[in-house]
This record gives sequence, structure tokens and C-alpha cells, in this order.
Amino acid sequence: MTEAMIRVKGVTKTYKRGGESLRVLDRLGLEMEEGRFYALMGPSGSGKTTLLNLIGGLDVPDEGDLFVAGENLAELSSAELAHWRSRSVGFVFQGFNLIPVLSAFENVELPLKLTPLSRAERRQHAEHALKLVGLGDRMHHRPKQLSGGQEQRVAIARAIASDPKVILADEPTGDLDRKSADQVLELLVQLNREFKKTILMVTHDPHAANHAQSIVHLDKGQLGRIEELRPAAAAAR
Amino acid sequence: MASFQLVWRNLMRRPLRSLLTILSLAVAIFLICGLRSLITTLNAGVAAADNRRMAVMSKTGLFVELPIKYQATLDRLPGVEMTTKFQWFGGYYRSQKNFFAQFAIDPANLFEMYPECKVSAEEQAAFLGDRTSCIIGDVLASDFGWKVGDNVPLIGALHPHPDNKAWEFRVAGIYHSSAPNFDNRTMFFHWDYFEKTLEANGVTPGVGVFSMRVAQGSDVAAIKLAVEQAFEDSEQRVACETEADFQRQFVTMFGNIPLFVGWIGGGVVLAILLASINTMLMSMREQTVEIGIQKALGFTDGAMFGLLIAQALFLCLVGGGLGIAVAALTQAPIATWMAATFPGYAITNGTFAFAALVTLLLGLAAGAVPAWRARNLRCVEALRGMD
Ligand SMILES: Nc1ncnc2c1ncn2[C@@H]1O[C@H](COP(=O)(O)OP(=O)(O)OP(=O)(O)O)[C@@H](O)[C@H]1O
Ligand SMILES: [Mg+2]
Repeated sequence: MTEAMIRVKGVTKTYKRGGESLRVLDRLGLEMEEGRFYALMGPSGSGKTTLLNLIGGLDVPDEGDLFVAGENLAELSSAELAHWRSRSVGFVFQGFNLIPVLSAFENVELPLKLTPLSRAERRQHAEHALKLVGLGDRMHHRPKQLSGGQEQRVAIARAIASDPKVILADEPTGDLDRKSADQVLELLVQLNREFKKTILMVTHDPHAANHAQSIVHLDKGQLGRIEELRPAAAAAR
Repeated sequence: MASFQLVWRNLMRRPLRSLLTILSLAVAIFLICGLRSLITTLNAGVAAADNRRMAVMSKTGLFVELPIKYQATLDRLPGVEMTTKFQWFGGYYRSQKNFFAQFAIDPANLFEMYPECKVSAEEQAAFLGDRTSCIIGDVLASDFGWKVGDNVPLIGALHPHPDNKAWEFRVAGIYHSSAPNFDNRTMFFHWDYFEKTLEANGVTPGVGVFSMRVAQGSDVAAIKLAVEQAFEDSEQRVACETEADFQRQFVTMFGNIPLFVGWIGGGVVLAILLASINTMLMSMREQTVEIGIQKALGFTDGAMFGLLIAQALFLCLVGGGLGIAVAALTQAPIATWMAATFPGYAITNGTFAFAALVTLLLGLAAGAVPAWRARNLRCVEALRGMD
């Protein structure tokens, strides 16, 4: 039994809007193994994005603890958290989340500027990541010159460029047509299988969720059932 | 920390907006240089004043003449080493619009009294040797293309020639003054020639200002008192001022212009500051989602602060630099253009430093608000704006 890559313990998150407070996550507990591909499903407003943001250290819970990639996130200052994100998690969001004024290559290179890599090494890593997602020939295109699917693949290249252990994807295929979506999903499966990335992907689409190894259901801030579709790639060997 | 690449690309996202901001900053900083130079130029005469020179004029005002016999009285006062006189001639060359100052003076000690007025020994000798000659400032000479030996006819508007013709002055020399209190666009000619010519008509000219040099280490307050008392019961009472105070009168003659100019300058800075803050806020709003993304990627709040402040600083430094460069390049033409009405226009190094400081502060102030917002922007909220 490997140590959990993601451990969520008694996490509560409440949003206050006006006078009302809305409890989005309610003492949620969850463990995710290293090297597994999870899909997170649930009705709209059930707190999926909120949970993903907490796991990624973009937001802090009101109560409870999060242990991700070996860190207790509550113990990190905001600057340390930023540094931890640059090393340990890669994000892919639904809306296309590239910097429009930078080329595909520059977008992928951007997070590498936070690492001690030299300019030449950054170039090498960024090119490698772009080739991996099949966009070696689109490196100098601006996001506007790319299709939605290509943009999302650039975002994946950026998420893996600094070789993080965890990839968090919030509806990465939500805005894509079936064919582009399948390419993105294949890519995530490949990253999980070949590079042992722990992946947590929020999705509404059962077809997309079927690419994962486990499906975690969230409902009204509570953990629902967990479907085990297939064993982890490592275990399946 | 902020990469120049992102700073530049973000500014180039709206090239026209950036260009217009830069140009308006350039205009504002250019104006600051010009406005401040008006004040420093006015004050330069005061600053350069010789503390051993004093001026004596009518208590009633600068344009009231004093009797010439006062000079002998002044010469006899203890502490007074030397006196010389200036009388405003008020003539013009061909047309009223060719304005420049002309004074009847004592050629014998003008140069001793005003060592800052430099003219070669030969020209000085030529001037002294010819009572109908004059010396003119180098700026005046170049404005009208006059050379040594030329005859300059002036219509005596204030002091008509007895024969109803133009006064003739032969240019004996061209002087250059290194000090801002001694103008380079003036003509000086012999008092004798002036007085004798008018006497033919039965007119006795008066004197506008007597200038005195007092002994080293004199008590100027005591001398001022002695001079004013000496003429207490005469037909014209006098005011006696140190040269610095005398120059200061010209500054106050402009009323509260320095204050007024200060207000305009302050207004210009405030207007450009508000415009720049607005531009930077618009720019920041466009970058909101990207700031969220960068924070998610691991860029710190401080890095985002830097990214925004760097954009504001870049705009301001380019715009301000341009304004300072234009002010420096146009300094000579503006000085020439204003020579008649506002002699000695010059931009001091202090003004350049001041403009650079204003530019820097503008950049920091314009960037501070959006940069602070970018710093405090919560990543999750910035990203939600995108959904
Ligand atoms: N900053 C906020 N302030 C107030 N309420 C918020 C905030 N962020 C999210 N919420 C609310 O919290 C609830 C959960 O939001 P969340 O985005 O996590 O849901 P989700 O499961 O991702 O939904 P969807 O499938 O539509 O993306 C929603 O009701 C949302 O309106
Ligand atoms: Mg969501």
C-alpha cells in the first residue's frame, strides 16, 4: 500500500455571500493513491472546482487538512504555497487558460522560469513537452492561432513541463468537440500510464470519466460512491 | 522578477493606447521642464547677483527718472567705491516690433562694474574712443545680423532726436555675458552722446538707475539707509537695493507668476497621473485572468505586483524620457524665440533631475494601484471570472 498522494481530511469550505453562508464542502474526507487517474463527477454546484482548488493550494479550507504530494498545505505560507505549486502540481482548466500574448512555446516555458533551469534547459523541456502533446510544429503560434483542442494540449504541455507529481484538470474537455476531447483524454491516460502522474480530472461527461481508473462522486459537498473501473497502471503491469 | 518579455507583450497588446499614453506623458514632462525653467530663469538673476553691487532708483518706481546730479552725491558716500548709470532709451530699429533694450551708460567703468560682460580689449578701446558707438550683445548681433563697424539707426520713440531723424550708433564691439543677470540682447551706448544730443534741444535727460559698487565687506543695510536718507529731502526720494533684491523685484513684477506656474505644473502632473492610473487599471483588468493563471502556476503575489508596476514604469520612463529629451533638444530654439521677452531661458540640471524624479514617481504612483490589486487578486476568483 503506497502512501496517499492526496489526502483530504475533514475539509470544510464555506462561502459567504451577502448575509448567507453557503457550505460547499462539509467535513470531506478522501484519499487518492499515487499514480492513479481519478475522475471527479457531480452535479453542478456540488463543489468540484472548490475541491480541486483546495487540493491545488489555490484556496484554503475553513477547517480540515490537506496533504498533497508530501506537504501539509496548512503549514505553508502563501509564498511557499506558490513555490510548492510550481514544483508539485500542474493545472489544466476548462476555459482556455493560456496567456494570449505569449506563443505556445513561451506559455509552456513560463512556469519553468520559476525553476533553476538554464535558458537552454528550459527550451529543451518546453520543446519536449510540446512534442509529447503532438504540437512540435505549432510552437510559435499564438493561442488565437490554435484550435480549442490544440490550446488545451498546450495547457497540458505547460502542466507537465516542470514534471509535477499531480495534475489537476477542471473540465479539460468541457468546451471541446468529441474528437479533440478524445485526443486530450488519450493524452491524460498516456501521462498517467507512462509517467505515473497522479491525475484528478473534474468532468460532467461519463465518456470522459471512463478514461479514468476511479470515479469519485461528489454530491452537495459530501463524498458519494467511488467506482473502481480498473486497477492502477502500475498494479496492472 | 517580472520578465521583460511579458511587460513588453502586455504593452504591445494595445499599441495605440500605449503610444498615446507615452505621448501624453512626454508632453506633460516637457511642460514640467519648461514651466520649471521659467521660474529658475527668473530666479537665476537673483542667484547670480553680485553682493557688492547695489541699485538706486526712484522710490516712486523704476520708470521715474532721477536727476543726474545724484551721482556725485552717491560717489561721496562712505563705502561707495564706484557708480555708474543706466538710462532706458526706448528706441526701435525700423519697426516697433523689433524690440530690444538699449541703455545710455557710462562707458568708462561699465566693464569694471560688470566683469561678467566680456568684450575683447580692442573692441573695448574702440568703444571708449568713439562717443557715437555702441556695444551690443552677441544674441542681439546674431538676431539682426549686425557686425562690428555696422551703423545701427534707431528711432528714438522715448527720446526723439532733435533733428527729427534716427539716432545713429556704430557697432564698436560685441559682448558676451556669462551670467544670467546680464542679458545678451541689449545695446549700450555713451551717456555723453545721449546727453549732448538732447541738450541741443534744451532737454536734460534723467537717469533710470544708478548702479554702485560698495567696498568689500560693507554693511549693505547701513549703505542702503545712508543712500535713502541722503535724498530724503530732495525732489526725488530714492530706493536703494542690493542687486539681488533689485533682481527679485523683476521676479515679483511678474506678480505671483512663480506660484501660478507652480499650480499649472502641479495640475499637469495630477492630470497625467490620473490618466496613467486609468490606463494601467484598464490594462490590469484585461490581464486579470492571466494574473490568476500565473498565480496558479506558482508566480507569487509579489511577482504579479512587479509585473504591473514594471508596465507602468516602462510607459512612464519612455514617455518622460522622451519629454526630457525634447525639452533638451528644443532648449536653444526656445531660448532664441523668447530672447526678447524672456531673456536667458535655460533648463538647469536641477530641472532635468526634477523632471526625472517626477517621471519616476509618476510611474510608481500610476502602477501602485493596479499592482496592488494584482497582488491581492485571489487566484480562484480571477480564474472564475473566466468560466
Ligand atoms: N467565491 C465564491 N463566492 C461565493 N460562492 C461561491 C464562490 N465560489 C463558488 N461558489 C459557490 O459554491 C458552490 C460550488 O461551486 P463550485 O464551482 O465548486 O461547483 P462545481 O461543482 O465546480 O460546479 P460546476 O460543475 O458548475 O463547475 C456553487 O454554488 C458556487 O456558486
Ligand atoms: Mg466547476
